[in-house]
This record gives sequence, C-alpha cells and structure tokens, in this order.
Amino acid sequence: MTLELRQVGRNINKQWIVESLTMNVADNECLALVGPSGCGKSTTLRLIAGLDPVSAGSIHISGRDITSLTPAERSVGMVFQSYALLPHLTVFENLELGLRIRGISKRDRTSKIRQILDLVQLWNRAGNRPAELSGGQRQRVALARALIREPEVYLLDEPMSNLDAQLREDIRPELRRLVLEQRKPTIYVTHDQHEAMAMAQRIAVLHEGKIEQIDTPYNLYHNPYSLFVARFIGRPQINCLKDDSDHVRAVRPESIRFSDSGLSGKLQSREWLGNSQLLFLETQQGLIRMMAPPEQTIPEQIRLTWRAEDEILFNVETGLRLSR
Amino acid sequence: MKAARFVIIALLIWSLSPLAWQLYTSFCTDQALVTPFAPLEQRWTLAHYQSVLQSNPPFIRYLFNSLFAGAISTALTLLLAIPASYSLSKLGQRSALIIKCLLIGCALFPYVLLFLALLEIARYLQLGNSLIALAIPYAALSQPLAVLLLTNAFSDLPPELEDAARVEGLSVLQRFRWILLPLISPAIASTSILVFLFSWNEYPIALTWISDSNKLTLPVAMARIAGSSIHSVPYGPYAAATVIGSIPLILLVMVFQKPIVSGLTTGAVKG
Repeated sequence: MTLELRQVGRNINKQWIVESLTMNVADNECLALVGPSGCGKSTTLRLIAGLDPVSAGSIHISGRDITSLTPAERSVGMVFQSYALLPHLTVFENLELGLRIRGISKRDRTSKIRQILDLVQLWNRAGNRPAELSGGQRQRVALARALIREPEVYLLDEPMSNLDAQLREDIRPELRRLVLEQRKPTIYVTHDQHEAMAMAQRIAVLHEGKIEQIDTPYNLYHNPYSLFVARFIGRPQINCLKDDSDHVRAVRPESIRFSDSGLSGKLQSREWLGNSQLLFLETQQGLIRMMAPPEQTIPEQIRLTWRAEDEILFNVETGLRLSR
Repeated sequence: MKAARFVIIALLIWSLSPLAWQLYTSFCTDQALVTPFAPLEQRWTLAHYQSVLQSNPPFIRYLFNSLFAGAISTALTLLLAIPASYSLSKLGQRSALIIKCLLIGCALFPYVLLFLALLEIARYLQLGNSLIALAIPYAALSQPLAVLLLTNAFSDLPPELEDAARVEGLSVLQRFRWILLPLISPAIASTSILVFLFSWNEYPIALTWISDSNKLTLPVAMARIAGSSIHSVPYGPYAAATVIGSIPLILLVMVFQKPIVSGLTTGAVKG
C-alpha cells in the first residue's frame, strides 16, 4: 500500500500554487513536508485529502487512481492544525459523528470509540466538550478521529504547532506510537525542521510550490542539492561565503575552527546555548556563524578555517550545487 | 465605575419610563388620567383591559394574527437567507463584497416608497386579506439584513470544521444539520428576533393589504382603537392594547436572551 503523486499541480487564477509534485510514500513510511509559509505544503495535503481539486497530474493509493474521488471515498485520515473538533459536541459525539454517517450500528460505534479512546488514554474524558480539555488532549481526540476511520493514508497538518515546546517534545513519542505503528503511508506537514527530522524517515523540502529535494534528514543536511535547502535545513543557518568567483561557498557553523592562518575575523557577539556557544564573527566575506564548545576561549587574533570536504559549492545564478 | 452605573441608570430611566407611563395609563380610570393629582374614589381600574379584550372581534385575535404573520415571515426569511448567506460566505472576496454592498443599499432603501407598487402587485395577484401573503413582502424586506447578519456568522466559523466533516463523509445537508446550524444558532436567534420585530411593528403594508377586520395585525388594530372616535382619544384602551401587544415580544426576548447576548459578544466558537 503506497501513496503516489504523479506530476500533481494546483492552479488558481492562472497561477500555480503547487506544480508537478511527484513523490512516493511507502507503507510504514512517514514523509515530512517542510518549507517556508506559503510554499504549498498545506495545499499539497488538501489535494491528497480531496479538499481542493487537482488541476494537473494524478494521485494514487495502492495503485488505485483516486484523483477524482470525493474526500470521503479516499480513505484518508487527517489531523488539522486547529484540531477542528466540534465545540458543541462531546468527545464521544465528535468521534461518533463520522461512524453514524457511515451507518454503523450504535453498539459497534460505542465499542469502537471505547477502543480508540482507550488507545489515546482519554476514555475518562469521553463526556467532556473540547473546551474542557487541554491542548494536548484535544490533539489526541483529533488523532483518535483520524485513527477510528482506519484509513489507508494519514495526513497530519502541523498537528503540534498549537502546543507549547515542552508538550510537543512529550507528545512526539506518543504520536509516533499511535500513527507510525499503523504502518500506513503518513504525510506530516510542519514548519519545524527538528520535528520533521524527529518524526520522518524522509523529508521533502518545498519552495514556491515545487519540490527542491526529497531525501533522508542526513542527506538534506550534508548533501543539499540547492542553496535554498542548505539554508533552510540546519540551525544555526549555514554560512554562505561570497568571493569574486561565480559560486557561493557554504559551510556549516560547526565545521568552522580557530587556527593560526586563514580568514581573519572580528568577534561581533556570542550566544550561550548551554552545551555549546554560537559566535558571530565579522569577516571580509560576510558574517560567519560558528558553533564552538562552551569551554572554547576566543583568541586575540581570530583566524578561521575549515576542512575542504566540509565546504559545499553552489552556483550563484541558479542556486544549484556544483559537483565537486 | 460609579459614573458608569449612573449613566446606565439614566439610560434605563430614559428608555423605560415611557413604557412605565403606558402601563400606568392602562390601569387608570379616565377620570384619574385627566385629574392626576386630585383625590379620587376610584383611581385604578381593569375596565380598559376588559373593553379591549371583549371588543368584537376580540383583541386576542389580532395578537394571534400578528404572531402568525410574524412566525411565517421569520420562517420564510430564514429559509431563504440561510442558504444564501452560506453561499455568500463561500464566494470569492471581490464578488462577495459587491453583493454585500448591494444588500446594504437595499437595506437602507426606505421601504415605504415601495408600498404603492406592492399594493398594485397584491391587487393583481389577489394577495389581499391573507396573512400568509403578508409574509411575502415582510420576508423580502427582511432579507438584506438577515443575509448580512448570517453571512458574518458563517464567515466566522473556522473553515477547518467543514473540511474535517468533508473528510468524514458528511454531505452539505448533513454538515448543515450537525455543524453549521448548531454553531450559528446564536446568530439565527438574533436574526429571527429582528425579523419578527419588523413584522410585528410593520404598519403601511398591513394597513393596505388587509381590510377584513378579522385578519388585522396589531399595529393596524391599535390604530383603529386610537382613531375610533373623532371626539376623544381613548387613552386607556389604547394603553391597554399596547401593553398586551408588548407581552409576547418581552417573552420572546427573555427566552432567547442567552443566545442573543452570546451571539453578540463572542465569535461563537473561537477561543
């Protein structure tokens, strides 16, 4: 069972919101969609769910063309950023609505809801309205609503962006347990690259409606195809050094070292990050971010160097990577 | 805080004292009304109420006529305005804005200017002397305001609620039944009250469309009481009729007070 997008595009008023998206998500795989806001990641999810019409290309689940099916016929489970729980219904009724529409008997509905609420550990809150739940609990109800359909594909649209940072970290293993153990293709939209790396086996970086690169987190970080990916993945951001040549040299902050010779610089400011420190250094080739161990002392005469293999070269015009 | 309370009390006196005066008048004998400070044997009376209720046809009849016309016009208005506002809230911003401007234009148009034309139509289609027919112009005149109010309510709903329901397989009608109508019910309640009020108070159309004295609505019937004699104004019966005519409205607002207030103060679901 796989999810497959073939040259999928969405066009509004002669403008492509997303264009020629091609990707495969295997069973048991979680693919994260990341990109700056407005890059088309939510639109992609809505196209797969059938909430927006596809203007070009086709979408397949297990080889079956679902491009022209309604959302209900597609068997997708979707978790929305705002959870989209109905405020006037209890947790139980929220989960019951979809089952009732599908004509499932009262007894089966109750046993199914009981089973799913036990799974997300919320059976004791079945009679509560969403407003009486915490953010994390609401999120689990939204997840339960997707799980109860036993869909063939899971679509998660920024499922944790409404939670605070600590809660997000706590819920991540829970989310992995609940969704990834279903062994279904899962697409996870997020603007948080750490979350993407934590949840997904592969990450697709979207930029202006097109896929820049689909790859493992390791490859995105170490072998970015374009300057955009290099800049987007990794915090603090990669250093982009520009000299008179027609290429940009990009070096990760943790690859920079102090040495006796090399690029000279001046310390502008430093940030303590606990297990490291981030130094901002002014050089002739621009501002350089450098990650250093916390015990690192700053020499009087600052000279910076890095290993040649840590340097990635990009074409200035196209932003594409130059082969080494 | 103290100043605010003072202002509120002043406003209450300002708006409630005419009503209190009317209530007082309805219980006073004619004698007491013209000699307010003289000591009188008989100051209080129920005679005005008796005369109003025992007239032919009884005043209660007009009350039911008005209730009937009000209920039909409110139902008709909602039946048309709810689907229209839903569509309007889904329309592109530009076209929605144009339609809203046109609606505001219609809402601001003084409808009294229409009533001669409406009278012609009523004569041509033989809609005179029918309370159900009276609901047609009432619903039409209420439509702009109702559509504008309900469109705002629909637009305030987070679109993800409907998206989630579509993924669950709910059809448009099922979404109305389970999601949209329950969530905009405060707006529906306040819109209904406004439409009902309009129909309850409407005078020129009711005056011209209805001549059968069994089918008069309240404002027309009250005007008849006030103008029943050329020699005197029957203040007492008139005041009693006003009081009776206000009671259903007061009850209505009291029943729907909670949804109206919550509909006015919160975005219904946000937060």
